[in-house]
Amino acid sequence: MIEFINNYVIPGLVLGSIYALGAIGVSMIYSILRFAHFAHGDLMTLGAYIAFAVVVAFGWPPVAAMPLALVGTVGASLAIDRYAYRPFRKSRPIVVVIASFGVALMIRAAIMLIWGVQPEPYVEGINPPLESFEPFRIQEKHIVIVVVTVVLVTALHLLLTRTKIGKAMRAMSDDADLARVTGIGTERVIAWTWVVGAVLAAAAGILTGIDTLLKPYMGWDLLLPIFAAAILGGLGRPYGAILGGLVLGVIQELSSYPLLSDEPFISPGYKIGIAFAILVVMLIWRPQGLLRGRVL
Amino acid sequence: MLSAERLVGGYGGADILKGVSIRLDPGEIVVIVGPNGAGKSTVMKAVFGLVTLREGTVTFDGAEISGLPTEQRVRRGLAYVPQERNVFVSLSVHENLEMGGFVRKTIPQAVFDRIYALFPVLAEKRKQPAGELSGGQRQMLAVGRALMVEPKVLLLDEPTAGLSPRAMDEIFACIKAINAQGVGILMVEQNARQALGLAHRGYVLATGENRYTDTGAALLANREVAESFLGGGH
Repeated sequence: MIEFINNYVIPGLVLGSIYALGAIGVSMIYSILRFAHFAHGDLMTLGAYIAFAVVVAFGWPPVAAMPLALVGTVGASLAIDRYAYRPFRKSRPIVVVIASFGVALMIRAAIMLIWGVQPEPYVEGINPPLESFEPFRIQEKHIVIVVVTVVLVTALHLLLTRTKIGKAMRAMSDDADLARVTGIGTERVIAWTWVVGAVLAAAAGILTGIDTLLKPYMGWDLLLPIFAAAILGGLGRPYGAILGGLVLGVIQELSSYPLLSDEPFISPGYKIGIAFAILVVMLIWRPQGLLRGRVL
Repeated sequence: MLSAERLVGGYGGADILKGVSIRLDPGEIVVIVGPNGAGKSTVMKAVFGLVTLREGTVTFDGAEISGLPTEQRVRRGLAYVPQERNVFVSLSVHENLEMGGFVRKTIPQAVFDRIYALFPVLAEKRKQPAGELSGGQRQMLAVGRALMVEPKVLLLDEPTAGLSPRAMDEIFACIKAINAQGVGILMVEQNARQALGLAHRGYVLATGENRYTDTGAALLANREVAESFLGGGH
């Protein structure tokens, strides 16, 4: 049982936390701006590398570098929206999707030019399990990842339920036309959607870097499971995205559990295939997702 | 107070409005009736800035507003209740009202109190998601949401569509009560007889043009109007 928790549940929750942070942004951008944001993974990578620059320049630990990286990524996302997406506000959604695809390529290419293509760790050295959690194998980074996720999700919850702009974000995601005739300043709501999306994406990128390594493709590789998590939870449902992320993370890890023999049930090499399978099954069987979101 | 002069336009394709004019004096209830496709809802949307106008002007409170974005029209005291999908279903009743007042910096408690007094059932359900309300309650919430800016003129697009006769009577009574507080009301109604009974003046539109304009009572008494547009004279 303890081995089961150590090998499957803890890594599943850690991975799920990262998926959840990315999926919230994808889900909210889809429901408020009405397009699938293909550059979201690369926004995560950007956040991770900005933090890396801060770590290298000041010698701070990655968590301390986080606030600066979040601010930088928010600035980048607002600039991207202004110059790459806003000109297409009245176009068909596919036009903006393609624009976001172009943005994804540009961000990734810029990262490779600036920081190179070699995988880099934030800090060298090994990360032993903490003794106080024996017999569970929990490393410091696991605590960091889960705590940062809980803090950000709590802040998001307060924003969405206690502030005027947060309620307006929910209203616009409910019905953008009605929001407009109500007099809600829709461009302001869109700007705040980017703030929230970029903060969570940058945090997810940094946490991925803390968990493993920084790579120019790290965010792009996470895009598919993040879309799967957003759809699993229900598009436009931030709490659904959290649920979808955690469920997907745990399922992916559990898929290699040796259920029938000593061999993994499904080879770990197919982990990404699990996300794809869940995406396909959900779209056929329950396209509105677990929490009744929008249909893609 | 509000006047639309010779409006020509539509949604990008063929013109739906072909020179319609509508006027609303302070404190009036004005009802627009006419057959399907006459452009009743479109006039209302044009007044609120949701239609592309090729010709014509809309003036409100002494100033031309034809080119203003909807948000600015709301700030000037014009509020609009669409026919359907007119509440935010996943927001609570109270949050819907808060969103109605989005353009205001702060919303005085008295504004909420007045709306809850007008619609006591909303006060009971203030924490419930709007999606759980009945059709009549939704319509009340939609009207309440629009009242949050304390508008000078309220535009109502078929406020009783799809409601039970009892809920209809309730909505008409509320509209009268709101008007009694000095709010001008421009309303499109399928339920023409009852609406004209309430109206100070009425417009009968057909194929995007004005057909008859008179007081509500005179339109109801007009045999031609009754036979052609009010579903048989009796």
